[in-house]
Amino acid sequence: MSVATAAAQLELRGVTKRFGGVAAVDGVSLAVGKGEIVGIIGPNGAGKTTLLNCISGVFRPDAGDIRWEGTSIAGMQPYRVARLGIGRTFQIVRPFGSMTVRENAAIGALFGSNEARKGPREAFAIADEVLELVGLKAKAAHPVAALTIPDRKRLEVARAVATRPHLLLLDEVMAGLNNVEIDEALEMVRAVHATGVTVLLIEHVMRVIVGVCDRAIVLESGQVLAEGEPEVVLRDERVIQAYLGERYAKRLRASGAEDRTN
Amino acid sequence: MIATAASSRRWRRIFLIVGAIVLAYALLAPLTSLDAAQSAGVPLLADRLWFRLATIVAMFIVMATAWNIIGGITGYAAFGNVAFFGIGAYTTGMLIAKAKWPFLLALPFAPIMSAAFAALVGLPLLRLRGHYFAVASLGVGVAVGELVQNIDYQGQPVFGGASGLFLPIYSINNRGLYFFYLMTAAAAVSIAVTWWVLRSRFGYGLIAIRENEEAASVLGVNTTAYKVAAFALAAALTGLAGGIFSQWNVFINQDNTFPIEYNVQMILMALLGGTGTVFGPAAGAVLLQLLIQFLGGTLPISFDLPFVSEAARPIVAQIILGLLLVGVVIFVPRGVIDFFGGRSRLSLAYLRRSLRETSL
Repeated sequence: MSVATAAAQLELRGVTKRFGGVAAVDGVSLAVGKGEIVGIIGPNGAGKTTLLNCISGVFRPDAGDIRWEGTSIAGMQPYRVARLGIGRTFQIVRPFGSMTVRENAAIGALFGSNEARKGPREAFAIADEVLELVGLKAKAAHPVAALTIPDRKRLEVARAVATRPHLLLLDEVMAGLNNVEIDEALEMVRAVHATGVTVLLIEHVMRVIVGVCDRAIVLESGQVLAEGEPEVVLRDERVIQAYLGERYAKRLRASGAEDRTN
Repeated sequence: MIATAASSRRWRRIFLIVGAIVLAYALLAPLTSLDAAQSAGVPLLADRLWFRLATIVAMFIVMATAWNIIGGITGYAAFGNVAFFGIGAYTTGMLIAKAKWPFLLALPFAPIMSAAFAALVGLPLLRLRGHYFAVASLGVGVAVGELVQNIDYQGQPVFGGASGLFLPIYSINNRGLYFFYLMTAAAAVSIAVTWWVLRSRFGYGLIAIRENEEAASVLGVNTTAYKVAAFALAAALTGLAGGIFSQWNVFINQDNTFPIEYNVQMILMALLGGTGTVFGPAAGAVLLQLLIQFLGGTLPISFDLPFVSEAARPIVAQIILGLLLVGVVIFVPRGVIDFFGGRSRLSLAYLRRSLRETSL
């Protein structure tokens, strides 16, 4: 079930984060290998974003350890985690409102991971490359306020990619997009992954999980419920129950044969 | 539309020309000797008050421009920057008056002390955001002034106490002129520093912090270090102005080096001129300081307010000032410097957009 720890680029051991008496993340252990695309799914409140916040240093875990390329990063400041090569996006986009699209991306390149740190001129060159990769090149000079929602999500990804991460944490970048936009976004994730970046993404859209992920991890109530190949995990009885409820699970079982022919 | 693009260009040109003339006048006027000006009967040049006023304007350019670094560029509304002015003034003042150092040797310690103090209080203070930071910084500003006046050692006030600190008069020809140029140089340095900040990696980091601190930190910006550095840089420039002020004014006390109204004035100047810009705060400082002096009746060109007794004049002046600033914040939220930008600003559409933005 779990990836051999020797090959793991990112490894979580018993990570726990409590808010008051509630454990939002409760003893999560998982491993992500170099070059993988891993999807995290789970119902609302399962602790997906909290887990991402623990990895990226926004939250300090109350217990457990997070190891990144062999060193512990649990409780490290976000900027130091970023400099070690972990980039992330926010579920609710957080663009730098007074800047242009290009400047937003350049911030990632100006700071970002240690080896990629550049002066303003080179940073803007990197920003241009990244904007091309995510398909925002034509809007580079636009103010952020002029962007549509899908474009804002692209910008969020562009900024994180500009930090030259080894691992990219994507928090629901497809949420709120229509089918065409999801296809475009999937292309974007594949393009980023093709540059040699490991991807750990949170997503509710099952098409995304099945479409790009090598592996899926299901969280429920802060714990790992299931883990494995996306198609297998999504057919798991417990997963369907946790996600869609008992009634829907029964209905799905009844129409299971039909489904597969579609 | 009130103005077409062509007429707004004309207006901008007029603004620029008038600005250039005022600047040239301020810089070149003192070059002619006072006596020559007096015998020629040139009104402003002949008045020693003019030098004093021009030096005060330059001093406020430094303070507003410095505030802009922490308040405008980094987005932390510091309400206690006057503490750095006072610390700078007292550092240089003490070194000259008590340690008998020469002025130019004592002056560099003003920005150093102010920056060191800013870094020290900045570490805990800059963890606070929004109103909490504003209130806490105001508290520090007031507390430092009180401490300086009230610290005693073996029954003797350490910093001159309530009676203040007298410095030996700096013996140099044309003292007024000398300090005018010194303060103008400090103003030029603050503007140059701002110009550099806005083009540097440091500046981009500060703007990122202002726009979204959490996003900045996950992109690799060391937010704590950057905020403290911006605060210390603002403090250093403000302290420099304080250091020059102490020798220029010869006498310093709590009232003239820690005035709480300076806190408000430097912020209003930056807002009036345009926060986050290179020249905005300087433009705001010139406009607002001249207005304050004009309303206060201390300008050589004066006026009488109708229906207002001489005693009520300062109060009425404050009211006019307040109303004017409310108008500016509503109608020109990006500051008067915005008039010099690319697009038409003197139009109804601009005012409508401004109103929409401020009401958000």
